Amino acid sequence: MPRYLVERSFPDGLEIPQNDAGASMIAGVISNNSNEQVTWVRSFVTGDKTKTFCIYDGPTPESIRRAATSNGLPVDSISEVTVLDPYFYAGAGDL
Amino acid sequence: MPTLERGELLAQLGGYVERARTGSGTFVFLDGEAGAGKTTVARALIAETPKSALLLSGQCDPLSTPRPLGPLLDIAADPESGLADIVEIEDRYEIFAQVLDRLQHSIRPVLMVLEDIHWADAATLDMLTYLGRRIGDTKALVLTTYRGDEIGPDHQLRPVLGDLLTKPDVYRHTVEMLSTDAVRILAGERPVDAEKIHRITGGNAFYVTELLATDGSVPATVQDAVLARVGKLDADARKAVEAVSIAPRSMEPAHITALVGTPSEAAERALHAGVLVGDRSGYRFRHELARIAVDAAIPSPRRIEYHRKMLEILDESDDTARLAHHAIETSDRDLILKHGPAAALDAVRRQSHHEAVRFFAAAYPHLIALPSKDRFRSLERYQESLSSADDQAATERIAAEMLDIARELDDPLLLGRAYRAHSRAIWLIGRTEASNIAARKSLQILEPLGDSEELVLSLRLCAHNEMLDRHYEAGMDYCRRAVDVAKRIGFAVEHAWAILTMGTLEMIKNNVDEGIRLIEESIELGKKAGAPRLESVAYGMLGSGGGEVKIYDRALQWLDRDIELGSAQDEDYGVAYSKAWKARIKCEQGHWDEAVALAEEVATYDPSVARVSPVTALGALGRVRARRGDPGAEKALRESIEMGASGALQHIWAPLCALAEMYWLQNEPDKAIDVLEAPLQRVLTTDTVWGRGELAYWMWRVGGLGEVPDRLATPFEMMIAGDWEGAAAEWNRIGCPYEEAMALSEGDTAAKFQALEIFDSLGARPAGQWLRSTLRAEGIESIPRGPRQATRENPEGLTSRQAEVYELITKGLSNGEIAERLFISQKTVEHHVSAVFAKLGVTSRGEAIARALEPQ
Repeated sequence: MPRYLVERSFPDGLEIPQNDAGASMIAGVISNNSNEQVTWVRSFVTGDKTKTFCIYDGPTPESIRRAATSNGLPVDSISEVTVLDPYFYAGAGDL
Repeated sequence: MPTLERGELLAQLGGYVERARTGSGTFVFLDGEAGAGKTTVARALIAETPKSALLLSGQCDPLSTPRPLGPLLDIAADPESGLADIVEIEDRYEIFAQVLDRLQHSIRPVLMVLEDIHWADAATLDMLTYLGRRIGDTKALVLTTYRGDEIGPDHQLRPVLGDLLTKPDVYRHTVEMLSTDAVRILAGERPVDAEKIHRITGGNAFYVTELLATDGSVPATVQDAVLARVGKLDADARKAVEAVSIAPRSMEPAHITALVGTPSEAAERALHAGVLVGDRSGYRFRHELARIAVDAAIPSPRRIEYHRKMLEILDESDDTARLAHHAIETSDRDLILKHGPAAALDAVRRQSHHEAVRFFAAAYPHLIALPSKDRFRSLERYQESLSSADDQAATERIAAEMLDIARELDDPLLLGRAYRAHSRAIWLIGRTEASNIAARKSLQILEPLGDSEELVLSLRLCAHNEMLDRHYEAGMDYCRRAVDVAKRIGFAVEHAWAILTMGTLEMIKNNVDEGIRLIEESIELGKKAGAPRLESVAYGMLGSGGGEVKIYDRALQWLDRDIELGSAQDEDYGVAYSKAWKARIKCEQGHWDEAVALAEEVATYDPSVARVSPVTALGALGRVRARRGDPGAEKALRESIEMGASGALQHIWAPLCALAEMYWLQNEPDKAIDVLEAPLQRVLTTDTVWGRGELAYWMWRVGGLGEVPDRLATPFEMMIAGDWEGAAAEWNRIGCPYEEAMALSEGDTAAKFQALEIFDSLGARPAGQWLRSTLRAEGIESIPRGPRQATRENPEGLTSRQAEVYELITKGLSNGEIAERLFISQKTVEHHVSAVFAKLGVTSRGEAIARALEPQ
């Protein structure tokens, strides 16, 4: 399944409370995602909380968009990505 | 056979029967490996079902070439079924409709059991698909059993499972293997090693019972177990058992005696020993595995003798499939030729094309023995049965043989037919150029012979090819000639088809009214002449033709009509193409989510059915991705282009332009020119103003156009001439927002800002970015920032975010609740709330809500 980086903008700043309400909101997001076979892996958020960079696994970019719509989340852009880790190269010089 | 460990499954199935009583039908696929006990479960369900229910049961047989609709014919033979009339009906879908009607309107709930559908013929599978899609409103439980572990990825049953299991009221259940405990219970008092038996058999119910039936030590294989049991019988009983083993399912007592000369008591003894069981058609094995075990142990010469003798015994039978089965088992050429083609023709009549193909394929190596003309006819029928789903090599080999025979017989009529058959066959696999050549060759040969049906068919084929290639004059010419000859010889059906082709040509030439008139005329003619498929094809032509000349509203209506007509007949080919065209239109209209949804639907259809559908659907999907800037655009577009490369240009000029557009927006105009070069040259040899227009426009856009060609569709012509305002107005009238924005972006700053708004509202990121950088380069300031921040003013002068907050206030939500709903902080909400109050001129929530309730 391809991995996508999704950029989102929240002009008012994204705020998810650290309580039961927040937890149930997240659970709802995950549940809607699964209807499209989309998995939310991890998100990175800017300091002022106006922008997020979210890593998703999903079958197509369209599934990402549909999941976003059902969760009421904005989509600025979608890019297909693969992981590059410095550890991949660790020790390569020793071989 | 006890029903251990099946309680839950039986309860569920029993529940479905109850539901059927109330008019809520269910379709069940019961999966289990051979010997797992599917039949036992089915029998148990039947035993449990109250006598008040109507039981219809049929089985599919392991014939090398099954009888079309065999199990249904068995059911119909039962007077209780009320389906006796269906044997008279020729049209498959009428048969299915009658069966459905029975299931819907039966006074009693119906339990319909169809066993071993992994052996089902194609017509039966079609019936199951038909019923499964409509089961909800019936008073029936349709229970089918199959061996999931024996059906490979290309098995005919797979697409049926894939299709139906996504539908409501269709379920799959599995008959699981027995546990060690169950084995222990079955063994009863006997001191057997239950674990060892479970290990050998894997818990397979049949194997377990076979092993338990042998006394002494446990045999290593099930075949050994079965043969050991048979070996205990006396000589006559053994012979009777052998005889029964060569029948695909069961054998009548009279046939057993005729085959091996044993008295009728011999089979009875085998029955008492538990080796055979009796059913209403005679004797059979308890399980097919046992039959195979016995069959495999018969020495080959004796087997062939048995099959040969069976043919003599069955000589008067009209079960052509059964006769062909035995004939094939004899490997005797004369017998195969005697029975194979008859079975094939039966299959063709029942529209069971896969079966027809299999019969022909079995007979094919022996056809050489037939006289030439008969061989030709057989090959012709064989090729007609082959669709694009089948062996391409076979298609061409057969065509080559037909040509050889025709030349050998020096018969121009046959030669003409051979070329035409060849042409049709290779068009389906996408070899358009070669197909055209063959069609013209056919015509060349038939023309000098004067009027004939063959001549009309070949003329129309050539007309059809020219239409596909968008050659108006040539196409019309062939059409007129076809109409003339057809009228002279009274060939009404072909007359109608020729008029349809003429109408399509007019549509494409942009003579829309004339085109519609002719196509509607062809529908009338088609109904009178009895050409049932014509209406659906005509709507498809109207839809795709209308889409091509961009009369979107009407095109969508026609396409919906075609989909409606086609779906009633499970006509997947036409439905897939019309859906693909809808996707393309929705893409052009800027309804991108809808376009994607339709394209994804088309992807679920069997790709071997016809290429044009996935080509068109992928093209639309790729274009949406490219315009949105989403990943996977290039891949989808290139796949579409490659798949459609050997076909008609009309299917791929849209993805070609979409690819060029993508490269241009990525600032790689040279790549775009490469993409467009050859197709542009090709399209200029055709008469489609929209194809010429779009390709020429993009070539102009990327700076690769020399002289401006003539006969381009109006908005494209305007764009190239610099009339951006006229072009934008045209695109607006037609309903293409993206193209409208492209035109506006050639205008003054105000027009560019308008274009930006359109791009942003569509979510066209690359185009938006391109336009923004153009504006910046021109030194324009105060460029609107982007869709997120676009302030769409509403009557109260609230920003979109403020309007959202306002709406939630009127729903009675507190600030905290609003914050949760919108993923923002409570403080921010309070900020928005005061802004809203200020703009509305109110000081409290209550006033704000009251304001919302005021009439506008």
